[in-house]
Amino acid sequence: MTTRLKTLWPSALFVVIGAVAASIGNGYQQFILANVALTAAVGIGLNVLLGLAGQISLGHAAFYAIGAYTAAILATALGWNMFAGALAAALISAAAGAALSLPALRVRGPYLAMITIAFGFVVEQGIAEWKSLTGGWNGLMNIPKPSIGTYTFDERDLALLCVLLTGGLMLGFHRLHASRWGLVLRATRDAEVAAQSLGANLIAARTLAFAISAGVTGLAGALFGSLNGFISPESFPFFQSIAFLLVVLVGGVGTMSGPVLGALVVVLLPEMLSFLAEYRLLMFGVLLFIVLLLAPGGLVGLLQHWWEQRRQRDACVQTPQANAAFVDTWLRKAAQIHLEVQDVSIRFGGNQAVGHVSLLAAGGKITSLIGPNGAGKTTLLNLISGFYAPDQGHIRLHTQALAGLASWRIARAGVARTFQTSQLFSGMRIDENLRVAMLRGRLWEPGSKQQVDPALAQALLAWVGYQGDPSRLGGALAHVDRRLVEIARALAMQPDVLLLDEPAAGLSAEEKQQLGVVLQRIAALGIAVLLIEHDMQLVMGISDQLFVLDAGRRIADGTPVDIQRNPEVQRAYLGSPTTATPAIAQNTRNANHVAAPRGELLLAAQQLSAAYGTAPALHGLSLDVHAGEVVAVLGANGAGKSTLLRAMAGLHRPVTGGVFFSGHQIAHLPAHQIARRALILVPEGRQVFPELSVEDNLRLGAYRLGALHDAELQSLYALFPKLAQLKSQPAGLLSGGEQQMLAIARGLAAQPRVLLLDEPSLGLAPAIVQELFATLATLRTRGITLLLVDQMARMALTLADRATVLNAGQVVYAGNTAALENADVLAQAYLGSPPQAK
Amino acid sequence: MKTRLSLLALFLFTSLSLSAQEIKIGLVAALTGQSAQSGEAITRGLTIAIEELNAKGGIGGRKLVLIRRDDESSPPKGVAAARELISNEKVSVLFGGIDTPVSLAIVPIANQSKVPFMGVWAAGTNITRNGANPNYVFRVSAQDDLVDIALLRYASNKMGAKKPGLVLINNPWGESNERGLKAAAAAANITLAGIEKIEANDVDVTPQLTRLRNAGADALILVANAAPGAQMMKARERMGWKVPVVSHWGISGGRFDELAGPTAGEAHFVQTYSFFAKQNEAGKRVFAALAKNYGVKSPADVLAPVGTANAYDAMHLVARAIDKAKSTDGEAVRKAMYEIDLHEGLIKTYKRPFGPTDHEGLAPEDYIMVRFEAGKIVPVP
Amino acid sequence: MMDTYALLSAAMTGIGLGSMYGLTALGFYITFAVSGCVNFAQGATLMLGAVLLFTLQVKLGWSLWFAIPAALLLCGLWSALVERIAVRPFVQRQSDAWLMATVALGLILENVVLFSFGKDPRGMPASILTSGGIEFVGLRITPLQLLIPVVGFSIAFALRIGMQRSALGRAVSAVAQHREAARLMGIDVGLATTGAFALAGVFAAIAGMLIAPLYTVSAGMGTLFGIKAFAAAILGGIGNPRGVMLAGLILGVAEAMITATLGSSWTQIVSFAFVIATLAWRPHGLFGRGALKKV
Repeated sequence: MTTRLKTLWPSALFVVIGAVAASIGNGYQQFILANVALTAAVGIGLNVLLGLAGQISLGHAAFYAIGAYTAAILATALGWNMFAGALAAALISAAAGAALSLPALRVRGPYLAMITIAFGFVVEQGIAEWKSLTGGWNGLMNIPKPSIGTYTFDERDLALLCVLLTGGLMLGFHRLHASRWGLVLRATRDAEVAAQSLGANLIAARTLAFAISAGVTGLAGALFGSLNGFISPESFPFFQSIAFLLVVLVGGVGTMSGPVLGALVVVLLPEMLSFLAEYRLLMFGVLLFIVLLLAPGGLVGLLQHWWEQRRQRDACVQTPQANAAFVDTWLRKAAQIHLEVQDVSIRFGGNQAVGHVSLLAAGGKITSLIGPNGAGKTTLLNLISGFYAPDQGHIRLHTQALAGLASWRIARAGVARTFQTSQLFSGMRIDENLRVAMLRGRLWEPGSKQQVDPALAQALLAWVGYQGDPSRLGGALAHVDRRLVEIARALAMQPDVLLLDEPAAGLSAEEKQQLGVVLQRIAALGIAVLLIEHDMQLVMGISDQLFVLDAGRRIADGTPVDIQRNPEVQRAYLGSPTTATPAIAQNTRNANHVAAPRGELLLAAQQLSAAYGTAPALHGLSLDVHAGEVVAVLGANGAGKSTLLRAMAGLHRPVTGGVFFSGHQIAHLPAHQIARRALILVPEGRQVFPELSVEDNLRLGAYRLGALHDAELQSLYALFPKLAQLKSQPAGLLSGGEQQMLAIARGLAAQPRVLLLDEPSLGLAPAIVQELFATLATLRTRGITLLLVDQMARMALTLADRATVLNAGQVVYAGNTAALENADVLAQAYLGSPPQAK
Repeated sequence: MKTRLSLLALFLFTSLSLSAQEIKIGLVAALTGQSAQSGEAITRGLTIAIEELNAKGGIGGRKLVLIRRDDESSPPKGVAAARELISNEKVSVLFGGIDTPVSLAIVPIANQSKVPFMGVWAAGTNITRNGANPNYVFRVSAQDDLVDIALLRYASNKMGAKKPGLVLINNPWGESNERGLKAAAAAANITLAGIEKIEANDVDVTPQLTRLRNAGADALILVANAAPGAQMMKARERMGWKVPVVSHWGISGGRFDELAGPTAGEAHFVQTYSFFAKQNEAGKRVFAALAKNYGVKSPADVLAPVGTANAYDAMHLVARAIDKAKSTDGEAVRKAMYEIDLHEGLIKTYKRPFGPTDHEGLAPEDYIMVRFEAGKIVPVP
Repeated sequence: MMDTYALLSAAMTGIGLGSMYGLTALGFYITFAVSGCVNFAQGATLMLGAVLLFTLQVKLGWSLWFAIPAALLLCGLWSALVERIAVRPFVQRQSDAWLMATVALGLILENVVLFSFGKDPRGMPASILTSGGIEFVGLRITPLQLLIPVVGFSIAFALRIGMQRSALGRAVSAVAQHREAARLMGIDVGLATTGAFALAGVFAAIAGMLIAPLYTVSAGMGTLFGIKAFAAAILGGIGNPRGVMLAGLILGVAEAMITATLGSSWTQIVSFAFVIATLAWRPHGLFGRGALKKV
């Protein structure tokens, strides 16, 4: 009861104040009060679309008009009672909203804005032209007030009715927010992809949101016509749609009280300024702009912020009635169901991302999918969960064929998944995140009257090891908690198969171990677990079966022991020094063994720390690079190698600690200023400018110098002869290897004092990798200072003077490369230590 | 910024310092947006009349005060403004602006609250013929139905048109005239070549005129304000189409000749008043006041003269009624309107302008046909 | 049925109007490409260009050679200001309220002009551009009608060449294509964004100045024009400059043809319904490309 009061008092307050104002106010005040209430009602309707479904509309005046005209025509031409007319208005507007959602569903962002703008104009002009029905531009007059029996409402009654309607709509919005529909809508708003992976049908959800939103708006429109007694197309101009959007934005998107506060500003403010006559619009524009600047989260956000600052949030961590046994029973599979992938392929443009891959994830077992970056692991997961349709091949869950089905259907069939970058519904509470999954995203569930047990969500969270408050917002969680909650959410679907995409990324060793235990418990319930993970310690420790992918193809499968001994796997992961051309080997060997005198200290990191949101990435790391050196940074995926380079180049901000370049602290500088000082990063994934020609890409490389001289250009072409042939091609059409060459050449065009290379060999065919390293060797002989991050550890070591090995954001080894040449040490860093007997 | 602030202070001051002694005159008109100049013209006419009245000591010793509200050409905004003026400011009389729909929306409120509502521009027929009894709505302006008959008659009698085409602005005013012109054509047994709409924002209306020319139009009847009307004249000129043009008074704004260019004079249009013709006493007075208060140098600088002229006369007529009623009570003022016998106005000398069944201050014989010539509006003989 | 004359006349109308939609829409393209935001005060900027030209040339008697650059400069500065005060603060807070903020600034500008420039529409004085011309099947085509598409397409062409050939242009297209990589080249992305908005303002101003002699100069002249230009930008696929320019032309010609065939009552309804239908059929516009769905 008290919680009810706590949440519902704004509605009660609005109705009480409104009722008092309606009783004591004069005709004008009653009229304005009714206008505030109706505008708030439209705002609440729009908030269903904007706040719950995350869709924008700049055409809501059209629904307002449709509602007003429907009720007015029914009342004046057919003599309907206003109440019946309003009901019909709501239904017809809702139908119009559902109809508009059909084109609107396919588009987003500015495209959606334009569709709704166009809809507003079509309706306004259509009303003006359909004279026989609407009275054209001259509108409809003498629209009656509502009546009950022989009693006809007067102004005060009508104002009261509007206030009650809006109060009711506030409650309705609150209910909707927490309901099945609200949960699914908010899920599609926060993370479209994750919502589909939990069974939500985007089309149905958004059509529903459009229909509700338009229906509420139409209902308010019916009363608006009755209140004014007169409507014409000019009552519903484009500007009115903007005003409605403003109501929601100023008040607070997604909140119950926001539209009411917004309506107070948007309706009352101009009235209060009416004495300014022609200067009113100007003042309104200025004040509006100020409100937007001061309260970016809306007035409700501002009030909440203020309120929470005064009041210490009472932490209400209840002891969860963790009933692990109950969860076990709830999740346990009666029969073990296998997921079978057979000869599946998909091609993106010219790139065979997955080619003829088959695998089996058995019920009750943990099956792992490993392979270097770019091997096609996540693509395969996306094929299984329906985000891509395979070009060929079969995917079966027990006997059901899944290939080509929509992702939400596959989810409802019993395939749950998590994502590489956490896709929690950040604007929803954690228990709500789970409830969406328990409903399997269904908006309707015929025959099922059962309420979702709130205790179950809590028990499930405890079961995966989440200890925190289930009422916190998804977006406010620490990194490890996100991972756990995402797993709990996937389990809340009671899946037959659980797909996990790098769940351990960013976790500490301890947390990883805990995760391993959870995964084993899940498998023990009969669920088929398919795991993509880079942490080999974890993978080798818990997997029953492994499949190894490289360049889109399956290169090996077997038990962890088999895989660790497989030479092909080792080569795929570490690269092979023996295949390096003798010239490089020769070259680098010499350099390595003749201890070259160290040049001046050019680049240094000191006690450098950085984090991604709440997930730490670097812990007080130190490193230095001297002129003329090649330094390799090695480590498993997620060790922090790329973050280190990004932090040095200024792309990752903020960081703590020091980055010194030529003796100057640069840790606070933005990326472009660091680039101008000739510390140049060749970023991971090439990042060429796809629509510009090769030569223009090179010219951009020299942007910091003003112009690229012809001689420089020719010397770059001499170094990369292939680029000379391709110089007028758009860079986007180049192959991966050519793009990598271009990215390096572009970096060199800046005449760097230090060149940072981030994963240059990523996703390249072995022959191309050879060519690449040959080029890097040439750079080295020319005395260019390099800091190299590469997954091809052995290749990198042939090139490097010194190496630094990272683990979990910390330096675990720094020094001569010779000590690292022992293959076992490196293999352990990359593939994990040999598993203990299971 | 400083001036803006002081302006604001001035507004605050004037609205706070109003005493019960004063008679409040309300105006709800478009003061911003596309039709902003109409509101300005009405404001000027009312202000000049009020200054004259106040200079003579007001009405029965009470000064008159004008309170203006912007309706942004939107009926709901107009309704809110009218209600505010009636309920909060307690105005004695309400004046209306250019937009027929806004006036139509205000009509029921005026009748319910028994506040006389004086239309000085919007010409929609059912503003005054609104079916209410008693009817508090009066007008000193043209009435579309009557203007339409006059326009059509002029086109066929003076211009020899057999098959005129209509060019109408795509808004309520255009639509009101579409009805009126169709009815007038039916009554006079004239076939219309076609009806084309132009938008206030149209850049080029050649396609519309081409359709009319292909349909065999031998005269154009134009209903639009100065800017879109000028767009039509420019398109007509580019097409090299020497068709006669007869226009409603929308193009009467002082700048029509500047906007339309060399062919501006080829449009003959209806007017209630022209500052170019020989001026009567009131005309001289009003023009002097316009020059003094608003920096008007020549008759060409008078924006939308009908708005100013109609508002000026209407204000004086209302003042006479209040004077006769010896009260600002709406009921009494309404009845006193019928009692006005003779008034020397700007547009004409009014003789018993209003009666219980006739709320129109002007009649068809008050319309004059004029055209632009060398920057002046001159009557067409 | 339509005769040659009607067809030609409608085509001339549509090409003139359409190339101005396209030019204004290029402004939407460039700001969207560089910042992911559009300036809904673009229509007001168009109006500002025309109003400034009228004020400087007609009211203050400046020579056209000074008036035009001065007006362009002021419009560029105004748009840069819009970016700094109404777009950047919201983008930095990851709020979409920049949409409303730019609308608010457009409203403020329109009203400031209403009170400073005057409430009555003004007309540019007749010049050789509007009074001369050549006869063609009975239709007089003025030099301005020819000049408008020529200027529109020249600017579109110059924009393309400039983006490819000049260092500054390359920098802007680099930001548009890959924001992060552009920073690594030493390009100040914030400055480039402001520059893109300023350029968009200049485009709108040019459109406003070109259209002024055909049209009337007033505070409200840009509102609907801005919406139509936005429709053109979306119709063409806002990320594709050639598509945007072409879509402007298509929209302009379609409007004129609808007016000439179905009659003017249908123009707005059919042309906006056409926009909805097109987007339902091609969600990224006529010439836009959809990005691969990322999971």
